Order: sequence, then C-alpha cells, then structure tokens
Amino acid sequence: MEGRLLHTPEGVRDIYEGECRRKLDLQEKMHRVFADYGYSDIQTPTFEYFDIFSREVGTTPSRDLFKFFDREGNTLVLRPDFTPSVVRSAAKYFGDAPLPVRLCYSGNAFINESAVYQGRLKETTQMGAELFGDQSLQADAEMIALTADALKASGLEKFQVEIGQVDFFKGLLEEAGFDQEEGERLRTLISQKSFFGIEEMLRAKSIDHSLKQVFLQLTEAFGGIEKILEARNWTKNERSQAAVSRLIDLYELLKEYQCQEFVSFDLGMLSKYKYYTGIIFRAYAYGMGQPLATGGRYDNLMGYFGKDSPAIGFVVSVDHLLAGLSRQGSPTPQAPKRQLLLFEKKAEKDAARYGSEERKAHRPVILLQRDPGRELDFYRQAAEKEESLSVIYMNENGRIEDRW
Amino acid sequence: MEYLTFALGKGRLANKTLKMLEQIGIFCEEMKDRDSRKLLFVNEELKLRFFLSKGPDVPTYVEYGAADIGVVGKDTVMEEGRKLYEVLDLGFGKCRMCVCGPGSAKEVLQHKDLIRVATKYPNIARDYFFNKKHQTVEIIKLNGSIELAPIVGLADVIVDIVETGSTLRENGLEVLEEVCPLSARMVVNQISMKMEHERIMKIINDLRELMGKDLRKPKASFTQGGNHEDH
Repeated sequence: MEGRLLHTPEGVRDIYEGECRRKLDLQEKMHRVFADYGYSDIQTPTFEYFDIFSREVGTTPSRDLFKFFDREGNTLVLRPDFTPSVVRSAAKYFGDAPLPVRLCYSGNAFINESAVYQGRLKETTQMGAELFGDQSLQADAEMIALTADALKASGLEKFQVEIGQVDFFKGLLEEAGFDQEEGERLRTLISQKSFFGIEEMLRAKSIDHSLKQVFLQLTEAFGGIEKILEARNWTKNERSQAAVSRLIDLYELLKEYQCQEFVSFDLGMLSKYKYYTGIIFRAYAYGMGQPLATGGRYDNLMGYFGKDSPAIGFVVSVDHLLAGLSRQGSPTPQAPKRQLLLFEKKAEKDAARYGSEERKAHRPVILLQRDPGRELDFYRQAAEKEESLSVIYMNENGRIEDRW
Repeated sequence: MEYLTFALGKGRLANKTLKMLEQIGIFCEEMKDRDSRKLLFVNEELKLRFFLSKGPDVPTYVEYGAADIGVVGKDTVMEEGRKLYEVLDLGFGKCRMCVCGPGSAKEVLQHKDLIRVATKYPNIARDYFFNKKHQTVEIIKLNGSIELAPIVGLADVIVDIVETGSTLRENGLEVLEEVCPLSARMVVNQISMKMEHERIMKIINDLRELMGKDLRKPKASFTQGGNHEDH
C-alpha cells in the first residue's frame, strides 16, 4: 500500500528541482515577450461546461476529454486547451470593445490520451496568446513574430515556423466543384502528403487536367517563399489567388520583424479544424516528433459565442519546448544562492533575528537547529551535496563561529 | 548533417525495399552481413541509419521521430492509424485485406445480425463493419493463424490479408468480401519532412522515377503479383 501511495496516475507527474526551475524560467522569459507585445494576462477556469469544448469549437474529440458532472447533472470538462475558454471570455467581457483586444495565458490543459499513447502526458502546460478584433495583415505578422520571439527567448536555436493558408485549398475545392465529403477526403490525403492517393482519387473525376496537377502539387508545395511565388501561377481562381498574395505580403512584413530566417511555407498544411479561416502555422525543431507551437486565424469562432470578431492566436506547448531545449543541451539555470544558518538551541533568538534581517535584504537563508547528537561534519557533508548552498554556524553565544 | 534514419518492417518487405533503395544509390553495406547481431546499421558516408523492426512498430518509430522514414505494409499503416505522411506506394507486396470464411457464412454478411469476427487487425475490421457495412460485430483479436478461427468455431468470419488464397482454399474457406487493396508504403515523420526537406524529397522523387521506369518495362518485377513467387 505504501508504494502505491507514492505513485501518480498514468499521464501526470511531479516536476521538481532543476526541471521545475527550468520550466518556470522558460515561462517567465516567454511571458516577458508577451508583455512586450502588449498582451494582458487572463485566467479562465480549469473546467467548464462541455459545450465550450464541443465539436464545433474544440480541437479534441469528445472521448479524449476528461468529463464529470456537477450537482445539477451538467457535464463538465477539464479544459483540453485554452482557446475556446479565452474566446468565450473575450465574447463575454470584450465583445463591444472599440479597440482590438490582446490576451495571453499560461496554465495546464488536460487530455485523456487514448491507450495507444500510453506514456504521453495527460496534463501539459500551455502558454499562448490571442488577438481579437484585428483582421489586418499586420495582426498575422504580429502573431508569427510573437511565436518566433517567444521561442527565441526560450533559448531555442534551431526552429522553423511554417505557415499555410487554408483559403488556397478552399478556393481550389470551389473551382473543382467538389462536395463536402470529397473535399474532406482530399484534405486528408493532402495532409498525409499522399501523392498517389490523390492521383487515384482524381483519376475518376472529370476535372480540368491542370487543376488535377495543382492538387497533386500541393503535396510538395512546401519550402521557402519561392514555393509561394511559384504557386501564383497555378490557378486563376480569386480565393486561392488572394490567399497566395496575402502570404507574399506577409513574408515582406515579416522581414521587418527580422524573422524571415525562421519562416517557411506549406500550402498543403490543412487543419482538420473547420474554424481556421486564414493563415495557420506550426513551429518545429530538429529531433522533436511533434510541433512545439501551433496557431492560426479563426475569424468565425467568436460567432459561436454570439459575437462577431476576427481573431488570431497561437499556443506553445511548454513541455514539448522543454524537451526540445534539453535535447539541444541548453543549460539549466543555476539554483539561487542560499545560506544555511546552523545554530545551537541556546541561540535560537539570535538566529531568528539574523534570519529575518537577511531575508529583508533579499539574501535567502534557511534556519536549522543543530541536533546535539550530530557532529558539525555531518552538516558539512550534507550541505556539500546541495547546489548553491553555503553554511554559517552560530554557536551558543549567538556568534557566527564558522562559515563554509 | 544529421542522420537520416530508416525503419524497415522485418522480412520480405525489408529485402525488397533495400534492393529498391540500392538502385537509387542508398545502401548500407553493414546490413548485408547476415550473421550480424547489430540492431542499428550505419552508413557514415551518406549519414544514413537503418534498423529493422516488427511491422506494427514501424509507424510508432516514425510518428515519434525516432525514425525519419519507414517502409511498411498499408495494412499496418491503417491498423496503427498514426500521424504520418504516407508519401509513396512502393508497388510491391501487393495483396488484399478481405473478409473470409466458409461459403455458408456469405449469408450472415447480408444481415445486420451480430456476428463474431476474428482478426489480427481489430481497427481495420471495426472500421469496415461499423462504418462501411453498419453491421454490429464482436471482434476477437488473434495473433496468428487466423484461418483456424472459423474452422474451430471461434468466429463466423475472419478479416485478414489474402495473397494467393491457397491457405484459405486448403482449409475450405473463401474470400467473401474485399475490404481494400494493400501494398508496401513509404511513410515519413511529419517534422522530418520539413526539417530534412531536400534529402527526403530527393529520395521520394528518385524512387518515383525508378518505379516509373519499371512500370514501362513489360512484366516489371514490382507490378501486380510480381512478388508472390519469391517466397
């Protein structure tokens, strides 16, 4: 029974000492970047009504949500991500704001991962930002620059922010006159970069040969800005054309943010979430199997909560980022210097006085009464094992007798 | 330059794949030593690494990024349902996923009655019966010799891979319905595809070109059915 008490359930864990320091340090650095961009903090509840995270707005299938009931029998859900909650708050509190609203958050999200992913964490820390009420190109650029700057601030060296534009594909679908089911099948195939699958599907369709070629090319339409420039000539339909020009303009703007070196494009990046309406993006790093950050424009989502407002946002997975940083070998921040005041029982008042003054001066101090049965050497050895810990010995007369 | 790592499903699939890769200048001498007990084979010059694993593990290695590229049967790709790019149909290892059973079982497939289905591929079987046929079935997962199940009365039908159908015939079973055609697929980790864009696209394009050439030849070795003779 005792051993069982010490275990945590599968998918959650303790974070302590060096790792915890690294995590907090990372969050602080990124938070500073959010603040520099003028985002204000918001905290939303850890659990909300099921409807907030339902199929229309959520990114997590219902069976992967942690669900429970309140006393009235309503279904409650531990948040699987923050965006729906932040959008709900924005609709509720800032729905009539005359100026664009910038919100950022940091906290834990919960996904009841299926058994296939046994070791995967069910509780993860996410940090993100959302910008409401600004449909401009500048807002797109800001969000990507913010993502890149936050990752840079974390100390991550080699990463890439890859940008897609869902409208390009949607324009092509309209041009081809595909129905929703065909569109969905094609979207899956393109997302899987399954060239041969698309070929097979389109073989039976009576659409223009050059349009077929464009769908096929989508599996390879990723890389630098040159890929996007190429795509300008692929199709004449207005929606796709507008999508491409917006990406080109975006790239020009990102140069001013000096983050073009981190940016690449993929016209075949298509999200299965219907609420994305413009650019979508993901950040990757070497050796990491999963994206570190994801984001995009979702101008219709606010409508679900009864307000109409364009919106764009992104989220960083702090845990993935931490893993990426340690793979890169980035150093753990030093533990803060602390002094251990070892005192004799008779000097307890002097020790308390000393401690309180040191703390006022922001010099961290820990008090410890010497056990008469222990030699000083015992404490000396124990302290040596600790990081950044110096020891001060106070004798019975309240005098500092030794330091080591 | 970082290593590009290949995960290959053990057995015939791996041999075929290595032969194909060799034709486009990707090879690993270390792997030709049959007596070697090594698990990971390296070509330092080309910065390539190879390993063999059980088929169903290949998508796992690739999804997590432990391997950048994997080669595995479509059956495994479907069954595992991992997040991957499925970039190439390598054209060999062609066979079919089928519902099989005694001829008398044809009848039970026409109704919506609950039947028992034995299979090594519970996800594929479930998807087929639930989403395509809308038939309620009890799925029994087995790990081998699936043909035994209807013979001894464990299940009404089975869902399994059929190559020539000779095992079926010898045991008085037949193909009742086809679920889907299968062949070897090349899968790529979604992040590797971006971070190692040029190297991976070159491999894909070289392979595509190679297959194009072979398809034009009469009776090319990796066209339909070509692989069944070389057991």
